[in-house]
Amino acid sequence: MARYVVGLAADLPPSSRRIVSVNGREIGVFNVRGVYYALRNLCPHQSAPLCLGEVTGLAVSDEPGEIEWTREGEILRCPWHGWEFDMRTGRTVFKSQARVKTYDVRVEKAMAAEESAGVETYPVRVENEVVILEY
Amino acid sequence: MRYDCGWSSALHGWTIHEREFFLMAQVKAESARRETPVTLIDCDAHPYLKHEDELREYLREPWRSRTIPSRRQIYLPPGDGRRLDAMPPDGSPAGSDPRMVEQQVLQGIGADYVILIPSSSISIIPDPVFAAAVARAWNDWQIDTWLGAYNWHGRFKSSIVIAPQNPERSVEEIERLAGHPHLAQILVGSSALAAYGKRQYHPIWEAAARHGLPVALHVESPVGPTPPSPLGYPTYFLEFHTLYPTIYMTHLVSLIAEGVFEKFPNFKFVFVEGGSAWLAPIMWRMDKDWRGARAEVPWLKRRPSDYLRDHIRFSTQPIEEPDNPRHLLQIFEMMEAEHVLMFASDYPHWDFDDPKRAFPRLPDQLKRRIFCENARELYNLPATRPVDDLDAAQLSDELSNCRGDSVNRPLKRNIVGATD
Repeated sequence: MARYVVGLAADLPPSSRRIVSVNGREIGVFNVRGVYYALRNLCPHQSAPLCLGEVTGLAVSDEPGEIEWTREGEILRCPWHGWEFDMRTGRTVFKSQARVKTYDVRVEKAMAAEESAGVETYPVRVENEVVILEY
Repeated sequence: MRYDCGWSSALHGWTIHEREFFLMAQVKAESARRETPVTLIDCDAHPYLKHEDELREYLREPWRSRTIPSRRQIYLPPGDGRRLDAMPPDGSPAGSDPRMVEQQVLQGIGADYVILIPSSSISIIPDPVFAAAVARAWNDWQIDTWLGAYNWHGRFKSSIVIAPQNPERSVEEIERLAGHPHLAQILVGSSALAAYGKRQYHPIWEAAARHGLPVALHVESPVGPTPPSPLGYPTYFLEFHTLYPTIYMTHLVSLIAEGVFEKFPNFKFVFVEGGSAWLAPIMWRMDKDWRGARAEVPWLKRRPSDYLRDHIRFSTQPIEEPDNPRHLLQIFEMMEAEHVLMFASDYPHWDFDDPKRAFPRLPDQLKRRIFCENARELYNLPATRPVDDLDAAQLSDELSNCRGDSVNRPLKRNIVGATD
């Protein structure tokens, strides 16, 4: 499992995202209220830049006309055709074979990151945290 | 049924007339105990009033003395809308003589059962109270006639006429009539105050589902609460008739989008006479749109097209007739005709479809599903029915033919091979 340093955690505050290029692949890294997600920036439907889409919630219903709003901040909606993806799994919220690749994201102390072998170094102060993408 | 040759020696010395009489008595006696497989169900034939006043007898005042709005024919169909050979000799309207329906549908095309759809045009009555009263009169009339006195063979099934512009009375009418052995479904018109998925209609659908009665939508008069096309009144009958699917699509998409089939899991809906070749493309379109717009209608647990097989049926007539018949078979495959399509003749109308002539050659399984099984399952009809005097009359004709008599009446054929 390779690691990629996305940047300073302070530069990816809640409700922000950054699209990085890792080995030629664009990956969107999201901070949603302190929870980090990373998904490939490529919609499996028609190859739209998925990670430019709206981060939203999931409408569910037990009865026509009644809508309950759930899972705020866990759904990514494609900026082209509006397909909804579960940011944790990369699956569409409706039944389908389509799935976008997801990645693990961790936040570590900068020193730990700098000590890891083979990763790109990043100018940080010791007290800073960095966001690490595993791919 | 077989002619019992064993009687020949016993009848030695009888005159030809005595023999004939005796043999027909045998045929009738045999009929009484024999069953025949159900192989053809006609899902759309129209019983007509002999005259307008026939309905009036079933209305009470103040409605009885009023002019009853009737089917407004503002476009000019071929043959004034009916098959000219379906006109009874006494000059009464086509479709008003049960004997002719027996001859031309039960015997003529060999239908074991026919699902009648009264041409009631209730939707054109603006007053919802009057409309409900007229609907009720149609029901009482058909119970006395087509489902009563005319239905000695039990092969006429029909539709409960309701006024969907009056949901409360519609529910009452369903409650009053559900359970009648020959009322197999509920009838609504294609022209409506609103698309049928809307919530104002849900109480009607709830009652229908609770009683296990499908709701059939049939085209009515071009004059109704809404014009016959999304762009108003076309110029010609040709356009009016070709464009039926535009309103049918609207109702279909509405019923699915509004979650009617999630809300009423037993609910079934039948689209009669609006064609079906358009079905696959409109469902592809709806499925695709739903993938992006799903959050608007989260009560849909399945793709829109997934509701078809469990809840929606289409009748065949008027069947599309592409130059290359294989194209129709491809369309059937795309729309899963094996599960959703049911034969209809539309007797006695001008665009009647003959099951033996209107279709390309179909694979056996598909043929059974379209001509019989889909309708048999939907309407809970038996796999066999009693042989009756209509069958005996046909046998008599066959006997006559065998003897070389010049009888040229239609014969019931082996319906499994109906389209051969």
